Amino acid sequence: MTSKKVIETINLCRIFKNGDIEVHAVSNVNITIKEGEFVAIMGASGSGKSTLLNILGCLDKPTSGDYFLDEIHVNKLNKNELADIRNQKIGFIFQNYNLLSRTSAIENVELPLIYSKSGKFSNPKELAKKALEQVGLKDRIYHKTNQLSGGEQQRVAIARALVNDPALILSDEATGNLDSKTSIDVADLFVKLNNEGKTILMITHEPDIAQFAKRIIYLRDGAVLTDELIKNRSTKESALKELALTT
Amino acid sequence: MRQFFKTFKVAFQAINKNRSRSLLTVLGIIIGVAAVIMTISAGEGATLEVQKQISGLGTNLLMIYTKTEHRAGAHVRMGKPINKKDFDLLQNNAVWISKLSPLIVEVAQAIGPNGYKSIAIYGVNDQYFDILSRDLSTGDFFKDEDVKTAGKVCVIGKTLKDELFSDLDPNGRQIRIDKIPFTVVGLLKEEGKGAMGQDQDDIILAPYTTIQNRLHGHRSGYDIIMASAINEDHIVDAEIEATELMRESHKILEGEEDDFEITTQIELQEITGNVTGILTILLGAVASISLIVGGIGIMNIMLVSVTERTREIGTRLAIGARESDILTQFLIEAIVLSLSGGVLGVALGVVGNLLIYKFTNFFIPTAPYSIVIGFGFAALVGIAFGYFPAKKAAKLNPIDALRYE
Repeated sequence: MTSKKVIETINLCRIFKNGDIEVHAVSNVNITIKEGEFVAIMGASGSGKSTLLNILGCLDKPTSGDYFLDEIHVNKLNKNELADIRNQKIGFIFQNYNLLSRTSAIENVELPLIYSKSGKFSNPKELAKKALEQVGLKDRIYHKTNQLSGGEQQRVAIARALVNDPALILSDEATGNLDSKTSIDVADLFVKLNNEGKTILMITHEPDIAQFAKRIIYLRDGAVLTDELIKNRSTKESALKELALTT
Repeated sequence: MRQFFKTFKVAFQAINKNRSRSLLTVLGIIIGVAAVIMTISAGEGATLEVQKQISGLGTNLLMIYTKTEHRAGAHVRMGKPINKKDFDLLQNNAVWISKLSPLIVEVAQAIGPNGYKSIAIYGVNDQYFDILSRDLSTGDFFKDEDVKTAGKVCVIGKTLKDELFSDLDPNGRQIRIDKIPFTVVGLLKEEGKGAMGQDQDDIILAPYTTIQNRLHGHRSGYDIIMASAINEDHIVDAEIEATELMRESHKILEGEEDDFEITTQIELQEITGNVTGILTILLGAVASISLIVGGIGIMNIMLVSVTERTREIGTRLAIGARESDILTQFLIEAIVLSLSGGVLGVALGVVGNLLIYKFTNFFIPTAPYSIVIGFGFAALVGIAFGYFPAKKAAKLNPIDALRYE
């Protein structure tokens, strides 16, 4: 495969200082993720998942090491440039959706386009509608977020992550607040989007959700423990069958 | 520019989401702006009213009187009394002065057919009516001849007429002033309250010669010489000329100070204008304090709003809002709040002025500059008190903000 590297980290470290004690939240992480990959990152709490995600999401900067996002050297960017990178290159999905309350689905999805400085999105309404269709919320476009179920709200959030056509979709425990069946639906949606060519990186602590990805990375104490391809990927059908057996 | 409109849209959405809270916040500004407009307008209205009454005194008025000084709480006369010699010199030589009248004020008991009263009697000549532009409602002024012969005639005001004559026609009837009978020849047209609040219709005008010779034995001096300049443009010339003639008459050497004072209508207007102007500023300043209090209310609510929406701010930062986007969003929110308060406050102030007119008959013209001040101040308050919360919002760390519970 000679496709583009969406993520490349070289000896990435993030050290927090707490008085005299140095905490190595991320130490010497080398990860490369290419276009079209679907990667799950797993690890116990305190393993550095969130810190790594913050750096990969350009919300935080590494203490040392280099980070290239879509072949851009992120270390060298200032605050405003980082904001623009987040706006153009990354689609965030959060555990608790983080939608604007009492605001319609379409207005939520439009939001990244409103902050876009590139001027390349001439018709935000149309793009937002299309993104909502993509996640299967065609008939919920004008519903307020508080009128939607948890699964639907997460779909709105996914549509918001898609709307700016980012190089990378970053999911932080996207299924953490959802019941098992809805979690499977969301994971299946990720698979669908990945099949359409989206590069997805998701953090999760649910092994059965991680099994939907193509590749899985385990972190321990801030370092990569294992990094391997998944041989038996879950599908919606297999996961639902499993679910029926265990309950 | 398009970016700016987008930010505006975001700010409006946020305000709209918390409609009742926004309205309550704005209430402070509404009241503040209305208070500023109404107090300034009231001050302006009072100024106008006073100015109107002063110009009602007669347009080109000059008053010449002996200099007095406050000594131990009493007015003490400092110079020579004003007398006939001064008057004649002015009458014969002044070219910028067209009319002159002495003024002698005596307090005496006046008795009419239906009542009596202790009252100030003004001794003047026949030109006094022109100088002060007083008109008659019935009868006639007394004539130059009455002044020369010290005739026992008088002209009275409406208030006095009501007390002494009730409904009788006073013309041709007599008033006894200190036992001397005076025949009423004319009734003055009503003038109402004067600039200092005195009743200009509670008055008796009689020839000054009669007052001097018959009422109080012999009295040679005058209290004031009233004069009018030939026209408004020459009031200053008239003042300079009168000063020179008075100095000559009082034999004041060069380098010595005047022992008399001359007050013109312009000066009167300036003095009262200053007083009411200070009053207006004072009232406006007090009202502005309520605007500042309103501004603090906005700041308070914006700070609450920032805390409440920490996660939202984190989300916005995560999906690519710059710090400046967040700053402008919250600043615009504060400004939109205070400006809408400004608009409503202007409306309330104007309506308030009209209501005061309706219920008290005191007409307050809404001063245009008070609207500008009220509105401008509201905008300023929005920016000043909105900046701190907006800065706080913009400086939030997105990682912490996203995880804020």
